[in-house]
Amino acid sequence: MQTQTTPPRVLGLYDEPFWRMMAESGRMHLQCCTECSTWRYPPGPACPACLSPRADWTPVSGGGELLSWVTFHKQYLPAYPAPYNVIAVRLDEGPTIISNLVTPPQGPIIGQRVALTVVRMEDGVALPRFALAD
Amino acid sequence: MTAQSRVAAVVGVGHSDWVADWHRVRAGKRPDDSYGYAATAFRNALADANMTRDQIDGLIVGPTTAYERMAEVLAMNVRWGDQADAVLSVVQACMAIETGRADVVALVYGNDQRSVGTQYGGPQAMGGDAFLSYIYHAPWGMTSQGALYALMFRRFSELYGVTERDLGQVAVAQREGSARNPHAIQRKLITLDDYMAAPYITEPLRLFDYCLINDGGVALIIAEAGLARKLSPHPVYIEAIGRYDLNTGATSLEPRLQDFYRPAQQAVAEQIFGQSGLDPSDIDVLQVYDSFSVHVPLALEGYGYCGVGESGRFMAEQGIGLAGQLPTNTSGGHLSESYMQGWNHQIECVRQARGVCGARQIEGCRRVHYTSDVAGKAVSVIYGT
Repeated sequence: MQTQTTPPRVLGLYDEPFWRMMAESGRMHLQCCTECSTWRYPPGPACPACLSPRADWTPVSGGGELLSWVTFHKQYLPAYPAPYNVIAVRLDEGPTIISNLVTPPQGPIIGQRVALTVVRMEDGVALPRFALAD
Repeated sequence: MTAQSRVAAVVGVGHSDWVADWHRVRAGKRPDDSYGYAATAFRNALADANMTRDQIDGLIVGPTTAYERMAEVLAMNVRWGDQADAVLSVVQACMAIETGRADVVALVYGNDQRSVGTQYGGPQAMGGDAFLSYIYHAPWGMTSQGALYALMFRRFSELYGVTERDLGQVAVAQREGSARNPHAIQRKLITLDDYMAAPYITEPLRLFDYCLINDGGVALIIAEAGLARKLSPHPVYIEAIGRYDLNTGATSLEPRLQDFYRPAQQAVAEQIFGQSGLDPSDIDVLQVYDSFSVHVPLALEGYGYCGVGESGRFMAEQGIGLAGQLPTNTSGGHLSESYMQGWNHQIECVRQARGVCGARQIEGCRRVHYTSDVAGKAVSVIYGT
């Protein structure tokens, strides 16, 4: 998995703390609803469970379950020469995140436990990726 | 949504010359822009309906063109207008007719996506402003519509045992139709071995799982049912309409990966079969929005044409080809006929119901079910004679 450059990130009004806190602390923080404790990803203006605007940026455990994975055989983005993998992980806190597995996936691994690993890209971005937990 | 059974009927259909324009564009030409393709399709739909423009009092244009400019190009002064995708245009037309806002509605679509190089993945992917999932995951290299369906199919395959070779049945069956369709761009028959030998694009999806990208236009004319019977010798009625959207967690693909859109399709199945008094066994032909082959097994299961997890066996044993139990995407669909974003499927529904499809006609076809699941919106229409 490449570690050089990160394609442009979507940085809407609510996204900045996610990336800043990742770089500063080496941990993933997500918005957690102040009213009902529902976790939120991607960052946004309202809780999907109760519509409250209030949230606290809170660290997640980093554990999750692998939902699915693919291997790109065609290059679409300058930063990502093929082949490379993309995975979907359901975090233990609830939200699903799209990411990469740090080792090439193979075999029937859907449902396996994964653990967050924050990769320092050479362009300075702290990028959350995952490794198989066992 | 109210019961809209047989309130309106299609009286005219038309399209541009997809095959000729495919060759012109491949040779480096720009035969038309989106408005030009739409205008060609509209002229052909008027001729098919044996009507003139002044008999039309409503206009709906596709999402790829501006409503105001399209209405100006076609010089249509109307008392009701709108903009929508393929199947929602049919829904809107029926609602306008049912509420008395219009009596005869023209639906027009044009798209110059091939000649202008519209991107559905990569740094310039379109649609990101509306659907965050198309651009949000770029830092991890996640882009392209096909990759979303590849992620969906990998999980589906592993949970239910539907294999890559099973999925190949879709591309193989649709070539049976396109091989007998003079309007289709890809007409060469393929085998399951050809399918398996083609390269992966985003694994587990291969080349033949992906739709074409081509230029073209499509138009339909829909009239109030009583008027339709006077205007047309072969009106094709809208028997039922249904819709249910799954939006929660859409950017992270949750409705796709956790539910395969199935709860939405099951809700829509209740609506359409309830309204029409029909059930899946009454459907002669199925048309599925197929930007990728994966849509087809998911629709077969979601609408109850087979059980959950049984689509692989259904496609192999009952069959979805022209001679199968449920002929599906008989024109070749987006994979092999033309990628008109659901619009070509609407006119194939009408032509199968009219019985004018020539070598690919399904004998005795009376009812055709169209469905799409674009970006979490499950929508269905049943067409019938």
